[in-house]
Amino acid sequence: MKVFHTALGLVAGLLASTVYASDTPAMSKGEYLTRAADCVACHVVPGGKPYAGGLEFKLPFGSLYSPNITPDKETGIGNWTDDEFVDALQKGVGKDGKHYYPAFPYTSYTQMSREDILAIKGYLFSLEPVKQMPPENKISFPFNQRWGMMFWNAIFASNERFVPDSKQSAEWNRGAYLVQGPGHCGECHTPRNIFQAMSTGNSLAGAELGNWMAYNISSDAKYGIGAWPEDAIVSYLSKGYAAGFGGAGGPMGDAVEHSLRYLDPADLKAIAVYLKSTPARSEGIPRPTMAVNDAALQKGLGQKLFNDTCVACHQIDGSGRQSPAGGLAGLKTVNDPKGRNVMATLLEGHTPTAARVDQRMPDFARSYSDAELAAVSTFVLRRFGQSDGEVKAEDVAKNRASALH
Amino acid sequence: MQKLMINGQEHNLDVADDMPLLWVLRDVMGLTGTKYGCGIAQCGVCTVHLDGQAVRSCVLPVSAVAGRKVTTIEAVGEQAVGQAVQKAWLDHEVVQCGYCQSGQIMSAVALLQEHPKANDEQIVNAMSGNLCRCATYTRIRAAIKSVSQA
Repeated sequence: MKVFHTALGLVAGLLASTVYASDTPAMSKGEYLTRAADCVACHVVPGGKPYAGGLEFKLPFGSLYSPNITPDKETGIGNWTDDEFVDALQKGVGKDGKHYYPAFPYTSYTQMSREDILAIKGYLFSLEPVKQMPPENKISFPFNQRWGMMFWNAIFASNERFVPDSKQSAEWNRGAYLVQGPGHCGECHTPRNIFQAMSTGNSLAGAELGNWMAYNISSDAKYGIGAWPEDAIVSYLSKGYAAGFGGAGGPMGDAVEHSLRYLDPADLKAIAVYLKSTPARSEGIPRPTMAVNDAALQKGLGQKLFNDTCVACHQIDGSGRQSPAGGLAGLKTVNDPKGRNVMATLLEGHTPTAARVDQRMPDFARSYSDAELAAVSTFVLRRFGQSDGEVKAEDVAKNRASALH
Repeated sequence: MQKLMINGQEHNLDVADDMPLLWVLRDVMGLTGTKYGCGIAQCGVCTVHLDGQAVRSCVLPVSAVAGRKVTTIEAVGEQAVGQAVQKAWLDHEVVQCGYCQSGQIMSAVALLQEHPKANDEQIVNAMSGNLCRCATYTRIRAAIKSVSQA
């Protein structure tokens, strides 16, 4: 029996070392994991210094600001010990016992090993310190009582490390670790319960995020990514698009820009392998069939605007002109009856700096009125999707007011 | 070094990956028949063919066309459809100032190659991304129709 246990321990140890290993000669392990965890997504303001924080999170009960995580001793984390940093990521408790709000995804980061977390700390501490105090949080009572998070944590935060599943391949385990831990995919793609915690029984089933929809990325063939070939998932994660399957816009475009495109192709494939094995959730927006609807070609404002402005890159058959990244047919975005991501893309544009110029799109918020953007959105939904969707001028007005970028 | 196939000839050019195809054509190769308009794929003046499809060369990085066939206005007359369109353009005296017309002809040829019997709706849909500030649109449509009905 003892021998058996030792053997099991060895196997688990081997799996663990494969799961946590990252062979990126060009990048240190710490930098790689900092990228994989996409720390910079929140710890920067547009045009600001990376990792110096200050980004505002608008919540129903007030505003939070991301802290400075550069090694500045006064305004950053320069005085933090290893234990304090590990506790912040694993328990959501910062220096001096301050409880974090789960806008900080410690509920996912908790899966990371101490070793990986300290590699991230090592990288952050190698950066130039930036002296910049984040604005004071403006949270109303009783939510401003941080100690209250203790009760929430007791119920919703597991404080458990990732345990490899010995029945699965090393690749699967690596993917599971990246998705559940540093990648914190569920923080946006898993719907939240009434306590704002990720709904474990509905993992990766998709959720709303401001003006955007974070789609169902479970293994369901119709509603999730189950029918995507692994190559398509890898293309999406590394290039920001997979022709006929999806294009990463808004916050997901940022995730590709700042994080996913830096990952090893082998790690991206591991993510694909894992995602394709997750429990299928049949909810959200179904994938459309690759078809164009000629009945949608009716003289009117929507078609006129599409022909004036969109065809130069998207083409009237939605196949994409200069680049397959401009392809519209087959995307979930054109099958959302509410056209949320169509609207959001028109209002905010798609301008990741890493994307080639033929893969970028300007925003049209300032060029067109609410009625015009609604008409062209509705045309896109009817022409390329099958949900008979419609966007109304008042929807555009509402989203215009709360555009993220 | 970029290996390009332009108007049936292979060229090895020492240009940056992200240089727009339009810059390569005009400034490096001296093929100035393709014009610069808006620079953001909104006007259609810079249209060329990439594997027979009309594309906006101002937003197309040269690295994206490596190994694919580029045809410009200079060589479009070597194809039967191109010749027919050019003749129709003269017959209908389409051109006024002429600045947008290279792009108009390239879009028209791409359309007629794909749909030799293009109807009004197909013509409008295919040509609507090409702007003409002299508003020669009715003559453009008439010229294309004369080819599609021939």
